[in-house]
Amino acid sequence: MSSKDNPIQKSNNIADRIKNNSSLFVNFIKNAITASPKVQKNFLDVSAKVAETVLKIIKEADLIVDLDYQGKDFWFQNRDKISCFVDGGIDKLSLLSAAPLSIRAGSYIVQPNANKPNEREYFEESMIFLGDLYDPKNELYDLADDDYEEDQMTNKKKDAARIIFEAATLVKHILLNRKFNYCFLHGPLEATAMPFTVPGFPTFTKFAVENLMPFYNKKNLDPVSRHFVNVYLDAINFIKKSKFPIYGIVETSNSAPYIKNLLFNYKNKGIISNKNFNDTLATIKKYKITDSNLLEIILSSNQALKPIEVKKQISGFGVTSESAWEDKMNQFPIIHMGYIKINDQQSPIRIESLHSPKKLTKDYEYILATSKLLPNYGFPVGLNVVDKFAKIPNWMSRASRNYYATHLLKQAIRNKDQNTISLAVKILSKKARSWGNRPRMGGNR
Amino acid sequence: MKKNNTEWISIGTVLGDTNIDTFFFNLKNHKAKKGDIVTTESKVPTEEGKVVPVTVWGKITSIESTNQFFPREAAQELTNSNIDIRDTILPTTRDELICKVLILGYTKNLNINNMKLLPLNYPVRPAANVKYPASEEVQKMLITSLNSKHPIFIGSLLARAAVKIRVDADNLVSRHFLITGMSGSGKTVFVRRLIAEMLRLLFPCLVLDIHGDYLGFIQKQKKFFPNNKIKLFYPKLSVNSEDKEIIYTLIQKLGKSLTDPQNDYLNTLLERIDYKNGASIVEYINLLVERSRGFISERNSSTKGRSNGFSHFKASTMYVVTRSLREVGKKLIKMEQTNFKHRNKMKNLNFEELPDPVSEPEKIISKGQLSILYLKGYESLPASAIVSILLEALFSHRQEIQEEIPPFLTIIEEAHNFIPSRSENKDNLPSVDTVRRLISEGRKFGTGVAIVSQQPNRLDSTIVAQCNSQIFFRIKNQSNQRFVRETSEYADKDDTNQLPNLANGQAIICGQIVNFSLPVQVQFDEHLLNDDIGNEDFISTVDKWNDKESVKQRKKFAKAFSNISDIDIRRPH
Repeated sequence: MSSKDNPIQKSNNIADRIKNNSSLFVNFIKNAITASPKVQKNFLDVSAKVAETVLKIIKEADLIVDLDYQGKDFWFQNRDKISCFVDGGIDKLSLLSAAPLSIRAGSYIVQPNANKPNEREYFEESMIFLGDLYDPKNELYDLADDDYEEDQMTNKKKDAARIIFEAATLVKHILLNRKFNYCFLHGPLEATAMPFTVPGFPTFTKFAVENLMPFYNKKNLDPVSRHFVNVYLDAINFIKKSKFPIYGIVETSNSAPYIKNLLFNYKNKGIISNKNFNDTLATIKKYKITDSNLLEIILSSNQALKPIEVKKQISGFGVTSESAWEDKMNQFPIIHMGYIKINDQQSPIRIESLHSPKKLTKDYEYILATSKLLPNYGFPVGLNVVDKFAKIPNWMSRASRNYYATHLLKQAIRNKDQNTISLAVKILSKKARSWGNRPRMGGNR
Repeated sequence: MKKNNTEWISIGTVLGDTNIDTFFFNLKNHKAKKGDIVTTESKVPTEEGKVVPVTVWGKITSIESTNQFFPREAAQELTNSNIDIRDTILPTTRDELICKVLILGYTKNLNINNMKLLPLNYPVRPAANVKYPASEEVQKMLITSLNSKHPIFIGSLLARAAVKIRVDADNLVSRHFLITGMSGSGKTVFVRRLIAEMLRLLFPCLVLDIHGDYLGFIQKQKKFFPNNKIKLFYPKLSVNSEDKEIIYTLIQKLGKSLTDPQNDYLNTLLERIDYKNGASIVEYINLLVERSRGFISERNSSTKGRSNGFSHFKASTMYVVTRSLREVGKKLIKMEQTNFKHRNKMKNLNFEELPDPVSEPEKIISKGQLSILYLKGYESLPASAIVSILLEALFSHRQEIQEEIPPFLTIIEEAHNFIPSRSENKDNLPSVDTVRRLISEGRKFGTGVAIVSQQPNRLDSTIVAQCNSQIFFRIKNQSNQRFVRETSEYADKDDTNQLPNLANGQAIICGQIVNFSLPVQVQFDEHLLNDDIGNEDFISTVDKWNDKESVKQRKKFAKAFSNISDIDIRRPH
C-alpha cells in the first residue's frame, strides 16, 4: 500500500500515527518495565509532543524527500549496476580459560545483467581469522601490550576485531580498484571508537595490521599506530577516498543522533533557545526516545530524510577525556546521516556515508528498491544475503569449541597430574550461569 | 577396487552429524539423482582391534534443494510486482543440494573379488568425499551381496540404466511376495518378466489369469520358450464328493438368501442326493432341481408325502429352494458360456479343460511347465471355489511323502477377488482359507505364492503380512499408500513417499529377494504381449469400424419400411 492510500499516514495527526507505530509500542513496553507509572502514562503524550516539534523543524528545513519506486521498471533500468554488500560475522562462543575467535567479513558482489551467467554474482570471503585471543602465537592482538589478558574484556576485543575486519574489507575493495556502482556495509559506516580508548586496550600485531591494511607504511608500525583507534581512523580516512559511493545501513537506531544533531544545529542558528534544546534533550533521554520510533511516526513509506552532518566520535567523555585519544576523536570524519522509510510496518533504516551523497535521490531510491525486495522486513536484501553468508554457523562454533576442549584435555593428560586433569574436566564441564540452572521451589519437580 | 575408487567421480562432501544408518551430503549440481548408489571412504575398527579403510555404500533416498540466500519475502515482491529475478540483485546461483543417504553397508578395500556388503558399525567421516561409483562396480556389489544361487534379471536401477538388477529366485519362490500398483503401472510387465525367467529355470508356474494378460506366452512359446510346456486351461466346476460345503456356499451365495427352513430343506437335499466325485457342479445342480421337483409332487400327493420324509417342509419352502437352485444353475451356465465366448475369440489358442487336480496333478504342474488358468467371465465366488479346489488339491500333493508334483509358484492376479480383507464382507470365500494355509505352510513344501493386486488395502491382511518381499509400482490412492506404509517392514518412508511419482514400469523392490529396497525400471518384454488382446485403442477401432453385413441389411430394410411406419394409422374422426 502506498503512503497515499494509507489513511493513517495521510493523517497529520501525530497521536493517530503513534497508535499505529510498532517501535513506539516496543519502547512503551520497555518503559513500562523500567519507568514509573507517571512516566508510563505520559509516554505517548510526550512522544507526540516531541514528534510534533521535530516535524515542524524537519518541514522548515525541507528535509523530507519523496522517493519513487516502480519495481519492475526500476530493476530493468538498473540491472547493469554493480553492487557490493559487506558484512562481518563473529562467533558467540565462550570457554573458560580460552577465547576462541572466528571472524569473517564477506562480500556479495552482484551485477544482474553480467555478460556471463557465472559472472552475475560473486560471494567473497574477504577477510577471515580463526584463532584464540589468548594464544601467545595468535596473529591478531599483540599480547605483550595486552593489559586485559586476564580480565573479561573478551567481547570488547572481539567487537574491535570485527569492526576492523569490516573496514578492512572496504579498504580491500578500494585497493583492488573494483568498479562498483554502490557499496553497502551492514551497520554504521563509522563505528563509535570511544569504547576502545580505555587505557591498555591491546594493539594489533604487525602481522595483522600489514594484512588488514596493506596501504600502511610498514616503517610506522609502532605500538601506538597499531592501536585500534589509529588503525580504524586511518581505515576510515582511506575509505573516504573511495571512488564509488559507500553507505552504511543500520536497521534500528537505539539512540537519537539525527534528532539531537538537528536540534543542535537549530540551537546554534539561534532558532531554538538553549533552554528548549536542553529540555528536549532531557525528555528524549528520560523517555528513551530514539530516531527510529520518532521518525517512524514522522515519515511515510517511500519517504527519506535528507542527510545531515553528525559527529560520531564525541570527545569529552569520561573514558577518552585526557587520554591519549582525545585529539584523535576529533580527527574522525563527520558522518552524513539520513533515513529512509521502506514500509508502514518497520521503522526507518539509517543511512550513513562519509560524503554528502552526490546523487541523493537516485542513491536512496536504489537503497529503497533493494529494501523493497524484503517487503516485510524493509531492509536491503543484499545485506540480508551477505549477513547469512558471513555469519559463523553454529556447527563451526561447535567444531571450534570441540577442538579447544580436546586440546585442553590432551595437555592435561600429558601432564599426568591428577589435579590438572580434574581441573581440565571442571573447565570443560562448567557451564555459564543461567536462569535455567536455578534451584526451584517445591522439591524435585 | 582401490584403483577404481580413485577414478570414481567425486560428487559431494559428507556433512556433519553422521551415524551408522544415514548421512547427509552436499551434492554438486546435477551429479546424482534420487535412488543412486554412492560411496564414501571411511575407516572401521575390526574385531582384532585394527583400523581398516573401507568403502561405505549408500543409496540416495531424498534430495532437497534450498537457496538460503533467497528470502521468501523476496518471492512475494517479485510476484506482486512482476519483477524478473534476473534484473534484481537477488542471488540465483546459490542453490544448495542436500542428499540423504541410507547406508547399505561397507565393503573392504583392497579386495576386488569380495564386494560383499557388511553392516556398518562405525559412523562415516564427516567432510569425507562422496563418490559416484562406476556402474560395473555397483552391479558387482549388488550381485555379490545378493549371494543368490539363482539370481534372475528384472530390470535396471532406476537412477542408472547401466546397473542391471537381479533378484533372488530362491527367496522369490519360497517366501511369497506381493506385487501392487495402480492399473497400468507395470504389475503385469513385472510378472511376465518373472515368468520368463522362471521358465528359463524350468520352474513350474501356475497363473490365475482373469484378463488373459499372459496368453502371449502360448503364442510365443515355440519361438521364445522351446524347452518349456505352456498350457492354457479353462475351469471346470467340480468338487470332491466329500466337500459339499463348497456347493452349499455356492448355492447360498449365488442364489436368493434363504430362510432357516429353506436352508434346512437345501441341506436335506444335499444329504439325500449323491454327488459323483469330480463331476460337473452344474450337472449336479440340475439333478438337484429335477429331484426337488419330484419331492414336491410326491409331497403334494398325501400318501407318499408322509413316507419320503419331506412332510414337515411346506410346499412353498421347497418351491423357493428349487427356484433358487435353478437360478444358480443358470448363472453358472452363463458364466461358463461367457468364458467360452471369450475363448472362442482366440480360436488359434488351444484351451483345454482343467484336468482333475486330485487325480492328474502332473498335467497342471510339471517341470518347465507354465499353466495358465483362464478365469475370464467367472464371478468372484465360483472363481474362488475353482481356485480353492485347485490349490487345495495341488498343495496336498506337495504334502504327501511320495511327491507327485515338483515345487511350483502360483501367481494370483487380481488377488483382491480371491483373498479379500474382512472389511469386504467376503471372508467366507473358500479361497481365503486355502491361500492362508498355502502361504503359512507353503515355505516348507515349495509352493510359493505371488499376490498381484491394484488394491492392496482390499487384501486379507494376514496373507499380505506373510509376503516377505514386495514390489511396489505407482500408487496414487491415499488409502493404498497408507496400507503400504503400515504393512511393509522393508520399505522406508522415503520409498513410500516416492510411490505416487513412479512412472510406468518403475517399481520399488524390497524384502528378502533383494538386500535392500531398490528403485527399479522393470524390463518391458514387448514380445510377450498377447497379440489377440487389443491395446485399448478404441478411437482407432471406431475409425476403422465397418458395420457387419447383417447390420447393413437391417439398416437397408428399416429404410424401406420407414414409409409404412410413417402412415398415420389412427382412424379419422
